[in-house]
Amino acid sequence: MPIKTWELDPNFRNEIMNEPGGEHLAACFQCSTCTLGCPITEIVPSYNPRKIIQMSLLGMREEVLSNPDLWICLICQTCTARCPQDVVVSDVLSAIRRIAEKEEEAGKLKIESPRPLFDKAFLHQLEKYGRLYDIGLAKEYYPKKEGSFIKGMRAMMKDYKDFGMRMFKKGKMGPKAMFPEKIKRTGEVKKIFEKIGD
Amino acid sequence: MNGKKLAYYPGCPSAGTAVDQDMSTKAVFEKLGIELAEVEDWNCCGAAEAENPMLVYALNARNLAIAEKEGLDIVTPCSICYYNLERSNIALKDDESLRAKMRDIDGSLDYKGGIKARHVLDVFVNEIGMEELKSKIEKKVSIKAAPYYGCYLGRPPVTAFDDPDDPILMDQLIELIGGECVDFSYMKTKCCGGPLMMTRADIAFEMARKVLEAAKRAGADCIVLACPLCGMMLDAKQPDIEKALNIEIGMPVIYITQLLGLALGIDSKKLGLDKAAVDTKEIVGKVV
Repeated sequence: MPIKTWELDPNFRNEIMNEPGGEHLAACFQCSTCTLGCPITEIVPSYNPRKIIQMSLLGMREEVLSNPDLWICLICQTCTARCPQDVVVSDVLSAIRRIAEKEEEAGKLKIESPRPLFDKAFLHQLEKYGRLYDIGLAKEYYPKKEGSFIKGMRAMMKDYKDFGMRMFKKGKMGPKAMFPEKIKRTGEVKKIFEKIGD
Repeated sequence: MNGKKLAYYPGCPSAGTAVDQDMSTKAVFEKLGIELAEVEDWNCCGAAEAENPMLVYALNARNLAIAEKEGLDIVTPCSICYYNLERSNIALKDDESLRAKMRDIDGSLDYKGGIKARHVLDVFVNEIGMEELKSKIEKKVSIKAAPYYGCYLGRPPVTAFDDPDDPILMDQLIELIGGECVDFSYMKTKCCGGPLMMTRADIAFEMARKVLEAAKRAGADCIVLACPLCGMMLDAKQPDIEKALNIEIGMPVIYITQLLGLALGIDSKKLGLDKAAVDTKEIVGKVV
């Protein structure tokens, strides 16, 4: 499908470049080194960070923000290390993901991937306890991902029953892991989230 | 490094899936005569889930500031914690306006940029040094190992302390203790899939499978690694991967701190080697 030039958003590149991490987007000269070395592209051939960057530079805002491939970057930094233009590709994709999340919060976009739910559930543990509480994370994430508490618990058991038993038997998860390890001065961490958000 | 003492940042997995990495890190530093003082009341670094750099800087400024008050460089066994600590350190060190923003959030984030953040592997090889380590080796561990570095030791360039394409620090340690490195260079720095475990397990399992089967094909007795997320994917999840993909792997996975501990003559139980999901008895049996 040809690009409809009248539907392009010339400001989209600036929007990305104003996000922390997105600053160097415009330096991309489309060499494709990021995509050729990407371990995700090896498994999901449609995954193409070069294309996402070019579409962003052209101003294809809607197509970029609704692209499900945005959510399968591992942040492994292979592209960042190899980019001859110092685009910091991992950080650019992260900046685009944050714009997509803001769009969803504003009710203008529906993100299909559960990744934002996972990231939020993860950060909520930090906000509450100062450290990651695995069980708290799973109890928040699974019901949100599955759409109901019962479905969530069922999915969690399916994914983690064997794993949990294994960890218990090997002494990696004892009764202590049932409860959060809360830091003393949680107020200091709470302030970070209040002022910066997640 | 200030004398023989470092601030220790264990990271969240130290209380659960990577308790063995935590145990072995403590045991090895004790044996090497370097005191680890745990960062008092440390908080999570934000891992890969905190995507906003400002959030990462703030979370890590608090930990850096606590260690700085003690006048100690900070060391961590986790690759992701290392990446977050050191990139925050670098960002804050040369940017007074960023430091001011941190102070405005809370007084506890008042980090002045006076310390270094290090990964244990970097401390072993580049700080303590091969000569010193060699003098303390008590046992030979004659294994064939697949050294697996994963993501954050050789990249991104801003925090890397090893080569991005062909890192060698673990190879050197493995050879120092009498082991042999199998040909694994094309797989050394591939991602384990860990960050997608909870949202795209299919992709995560496929990535882990590639690493595990490559080690097997190369004839390795075990994979040696330095990150608790890689440890979780490749060891703790290995039976799940075998079941989901209907394959058999059976590849033991150990942390570099456990391997070094064995060579330093530390008891395998004290190093947590009995806690691995895939049995490590054969590896322990190769200590002579």
